[in-house]
Amino acid sequence: MLKHLTILNDHNLPYPDTIHPIVVHFVIAMVLFAVCCDLIGYIAGKTEFFEVSWWNMFVATVAIFVAIIFGQFEAGLAKPYDLAKSALNYHTLIGWSLSGLIAAITAWRYVLRSRDPQKLPFHYVAVGLLLVGLVGVQVYLGDQLVWVYGLHTVPVVEAVKEGILP
Amino acid sequence: MNSQLIEQLNIHLGANGLPYNIPIHPNLVHLTLGLFIIGVTFDIVGVFFPWEKWAFKFLALSVERARLFDVGWYNMVASATITFFTVAAGFYEMFLATPAPNTKSAWGLQAMETMMWHGIGGLILLALIVAMTFWRGWQRYVSCKNADKQVKWNYLVAGVTIMFLMYIHGTLGAQLAADFGVHNTADSLLQMGQDLKAGLGDGN
Repeated sequence: MLKHLTILNDHNLPYPDTIHPIVVHFVIAMVLFAVCCDLIGYIAGKTEFFEVSWWNMFVATVAIFVAIIFGQFEAGLAKPYDLAKSALNYHTLIGWSLSGLIAAITAWRYVLRSRDPQKLPFHYVAVGLLLVGLVGVQVYLGDQLVWVYGLHTVPVVEAVKEGILP
Repeated sequence: MNSQLIEQLNIHLGANGLPYNIPIHPNLVHLTLGLFIIGVTFDIVGVFFPWEKWAFKFLALSVERARLFDVGWYNMVASATITFFTVAAGFYEMFLATPAPNTKSAWGLQAMETMMWHGIGGLILLALIVAMTFWRGWQRYVSCKNADKQVKWNYLVAGVTIMFLMYIHGTLGAQLAADFGVHNTADSLLQMGQDLKAGLGDGN
């Protein structure tokens, strides 16, 4: 059974396709939607959106750690060539930082929600907007790794094996 | 699409075959799938709420059942809204795609078959997501308005079935990216036999 896990396919993976880009759906979508709901709640006074926001942040907090596990595993198998290394380093650094930040923001939210689920201070909404910016940078870096540098795509994996990439 | 037809558009395309660095469609997909799957999941959590009370208590989370159903509803509305843009961006980028004609995916399909199924599947999924959202709204505001459980069993079964379709559909999309290298800068440069260092150096 362990032998099965050590056989890598033409994407240099022990399973058919990359899993990290799937798990990050549940970080990206949930954080963005949570902040949208906070804004609707804060600006329009529709406080029922605060609960929707909280639960989405809750999901994002769980998902980001799963995303990091698969991210580290797949980064380890990506064999990044020199050109791609800088983007991968920044993506790794921001990814781990986001796990701490998202967990801390959700913990803050937990306390705010325990005190009064109908109220949200301006500072929290502002931090949410900064978080969206950082998630945006992280998504852009991840996009570069896949769409510009082609990590784990068949042609790049082939070329890396042939040793022709700079 | 064949390159002469793409030239009719008269736009400047980069090595990835797009007028911009990074494809838009795969980024909107994060939102479509994340919102849909978590929306249905919260309805499932809401329906099984009486069995979960101990777990929420254990985690010191105060939970109101109706609020779980709020997540189920609003996430679906957001998913349905954003998916129109997901599909639109997908078709734009598919029309500009020029995948290598002689490779096959892990499922033994060629590029054109994979694109066709992914395109048709995308429209079908859009229709399903929108239909699910209307069904969800109907249950919320009309048929289950005063019930403890805001959704019916068959809605949840439909939701899980659609997730399975999304898995197949998403795999086709992943194959377009990772097997055929559609709109991938490094893959395109390799296929054209160009120097990656020069191509990637100025491309971003």
